[in-house]
Amino acid sequence: MSSKQSILNALKSVAVAPQAMPPINVSPRLDDVIGQFETNLGTVAGTLHREGGLAALQAKVDELIKEGKQVISQVEGVTGNRSAPETAHELKDIDFAVIPGDVAVAENGAIWVNNQHLGHRVTPFICENLFLVVSADKVVANLHEAIKQIGLNSGEFGVFIAGPSKTADIEQALVVGAHGACSLNVYLI
Amino acid sequence: MSSQTTALNSGVHAKKADIFCKDEARVDWHSKALWVLREKRDRAAGSLPEWEQLRQLGSEMKLHTLTHLGEYLETFEKNCQANGIVVHWAKDGAEHNQIVHSILAKHQVKKLVKSKSMLTEECHLNPYLESKGIEVIDTDLGERIIQLAKQPPSHIVVPAIHMKKEEVGDLFHDKLGTEAGASDPTYLTRAARAHLREQFLSADAAMTGVNMAIADKGAVVVCTNEGNADMGANLPKLQLHSMGIDKMVPDLDSAAILLRTLARNATGQPITTYSSFYRGPQDGGEMHIIIVDNGRTDMLKDKILAESLKCIRCGGCLNTCPVYRRSGGYSYNYTIPGPIGIAVGAQADDTHSIPWACTLCGSCSYVCPTKVPLDKIIHHHRRLKAKAGKLPYGKRNYMPLVGNFMASETMLNCSMSVARTALRILPGSLLKPFSGAWGKYRELPVAPKSSFEAWFNKNRGQ
Amino acid sequence: MKIALFIPCLVNQMMPHVGIATVELLEKLGHQVILPKGQTCCGQPMTNSGCFDEAKKTTLKLLNAFKGVECDAIVCPAASCLVAAKENFHEFDDSPEAQAVIDKLYELTEFLHDVAPIPAYNKAFNYKISLQLSCHGIRMLDLATPSEQMGPRTNKVEAVLSSIPGIEIVYPDRRDECCGFGGTFAVDEGAVSAKMGKDKAQAHAATGATYAVGFDPSCLLHLDGMIRRQLLPIATRHIAEVINAAL
Repeated sequence: MSSKQSILNALKSVAVAPQAMPPINVSPRLDDVIGQFETNLGTVAGTLHREGGLAALQAKVDELIKEGKQVISQVEGVTGNRSAPETAHELKDIDFAVIPGDVAVAENGAIWVNNQHLGHRVTPFICENLFLVVSADKVVANLHEAIKQIGLNSGEFGVFIAGPSKTADIEQALVVGAHGACSLNVYLI
Repeated sequence: MSSQTTALNSGVHAKKADIFCKDEARVDWHSKALWVLREKRDRAAGSLPEWEQLRQLGSEMKLHTLTHLGEYLETFEKNCQANGIVVHWAKDGAEHNQIVHSILAKHQVKKLVKSKSMLTEECHLNPYLESKGIEVIDTDLGERIIQLAKQPPSHIVVPAIHMKKEEVGDLFHDKLGTEAGASDPTYLTRAARAHLREQFLSADAAMTGVNMAIADKGAVVVCTNEGNADMGANLPKLQLHSMGIDKMVPDLDSAAILLRTLARNATGQPITTYSSFYRGPQDGGEMHIIIVDNGRTDMLKDKILAESLKCIRCGGCLNTCPVYRRSGGYSYNYTIPGPIGIAVGAQADDTHSIPWACTLCGSCSYVCPTKVPLDKIIHHHRRLKAKAGKLPYGKRNYMPLVGNFMASETMLNCSMSVARTALRILPGSLLKPFSGAWGKYRELPVAPKSSFEAWFNKNRGQ
Repeated sequence: MKIALFIPCLVNQMMPHVGIATVELLEKLGHQVILPKGQTCCGQPMTNSGCFDEAKKTTLKLLNAFKGVECDAIVCPAASCLVAAKENFHEFDDSPEAQAVIDKLYELTEFLHDVAPIPAYNKAFNYKISLQLSCHGIRMLDLATPSEQMGPRTNKVEAVLSSIPGIEIVYPDRRDECCGFGGTFAVDEGAVSAKMGKDKAQAHAATGATYAVGFDPSCLLHLDGMIRRQLLPIATRHIAEVINAAL
């Protein structure tokens, strides 16, 4: 018998009586959703820019390019100085990546990013610093709402990103910048 | 003897705990570090008015899935295949390891980067692959620290919690060439970042654990704070994900329940930095999922033990456990320590002592985000051990005596009367040798002259 | 009300003052108190160790002591023993007679909160007390909402004590962390049990309270042994003693 079959056979004698799936009906907190998002993004060490939109972001990018930074943008309307390379590994010297987010979650500061907009999947992780751009009308109260709006088609990859990469594995001391991006700035448009 | 073998040496829990307790300052440090996580968890949980509702939903959803697991696993496999994912089934750790090796061997993989997976620890994958000539790099910072130190994890979420920063500093100086004596966590983390970036960029394959497997999408969710799982899985063209059959959830809505409680209960964060959903390989890549049983279906055959499979490995029960905090992660004779380690590891413990590393205080069951009744499960393990005639600490000999003694008023009254008299009239120095573990740490009780019953009969004239 | 006392072996043999205070306070409140004969032990030392066969005789002996006893309630001044008695009675005897006994079982605080509240205290108790919220009482009897649980909070212990004139109620740091007694755990796992007890005793002492007050005699016995070994400036009292002093 295959291992698959032996596992499935064993599962026919589960001792617990079949339980029904519970209805998921959790009340969202709807007051000042963007304010909640800003607070929670701060909690996870990210920064929200509410004013200025893409123009402010482009100005920032221009400044960084002037300083000699390597900037790649996947956001329409924002121009960097690098284009998507052939292989993912060539992204290793990217200082800043500008990436569009689809949905932002007020309760935890997370933003959903789908690989259609990433070029290479590794882009938001391998860059030293990350800019995410999200539309103000795409900020939802909680994860239950967000999960209904995310896109994740067959074959795709998507990720909720909540702040820059971090660790507290050495004596519980929080260090921002473990393996992924060392900073996260979110621009609301 | 390496510290890894010391840590894994089996010995009764009490004896290992006794050794851990010898350095009281370190016990206090360890206990406090973990209690801070419990406090952060309380604040995060308390900030959600729906917290208890989420625990209840998590529990019911997981029980629903576990009682329909065969159907969900088959649906999951079918959907994965439609997404271009290759699915493998392993009945135990050995088969899991063989499958992993065969995939890696087919692609001539020399170096594998691996993010945290308690399942691969449980299957002892690293030593197996290393014996086949494959270099395995653990990429979670805590995991990398203990891998360099040749130690097993002492906690399931913060695996190097037992090490002080000075010890990590010495280790990194030795292995990564950091400055001698440097112990600043930021400096050490940056050094690890640079070191591991080279590993990510030169790896031939990546492996991760799985936090949730979504049946109706054919996707797996992997949660990390560091981004190591995604740096791994998205650079080389070959990605592997190992999951226990208990990781299954029906759909995205179900996953959302657990994503809301997982990080809050683990570290007090509202969510992990990265919650990644893989529903297929990258362009030109290959994605494999290995579904592992390794004793889980056996647990499902016991009504009480079955509930331990609701666990989502947040580590909250370890942080709150007053025994774990004071006995350390290496005292449990199992890869997973603490309450959940007892629940899922007691049957494998050949000292039969870990179910007794617990006061049945119940804090873990109340902390648990999926309401695993840990204290009930641990108590049940004691019953199973007793039934099998495998009691530790001499209980097998003295328990029947206690049973008879307690059931007899005459025996109880006579001997307790003698004991009270002895406690009252004998000097402490004479009593100490007879008072055993109690008197070693505590003063003996001040004994009353007579029993309550004697008082009642005398004063209330029955 | 006519109250049958359930006096666990530990109270009977080692802490009779807890039983005496319980009798006196219940009588002051106008209740009639009886002590059914033949009580020994609830079986907890055995069942907690998984030894159900060994516990059966003891448990049934205790159950039989209450079967058919005419009373309105069975009251016990020890939460842990009460929980064990409830569970073990149920385990070994599923008869309606056993259920009738189980339905009347109350821990003392629970009785004074849920069934027969104290109308008024008439004496002051001018002390600061640090409450020992023992595990089984809060997590299995709902005497107080455990710190792990979120949402609305109740605290029957504080509710019963707070109207005593002059009393000041405080809590130790890590307010409901286990004291480390755990029955045979205190002996099997001596080092960890002792460290837990030491931490708990010190946390109570650090509040500056005169007394550490609790509803579970076994935890109090453990804390007392620790307090005296550590020479801490605090003493243990059972809740019955405090209530009795204020009536």
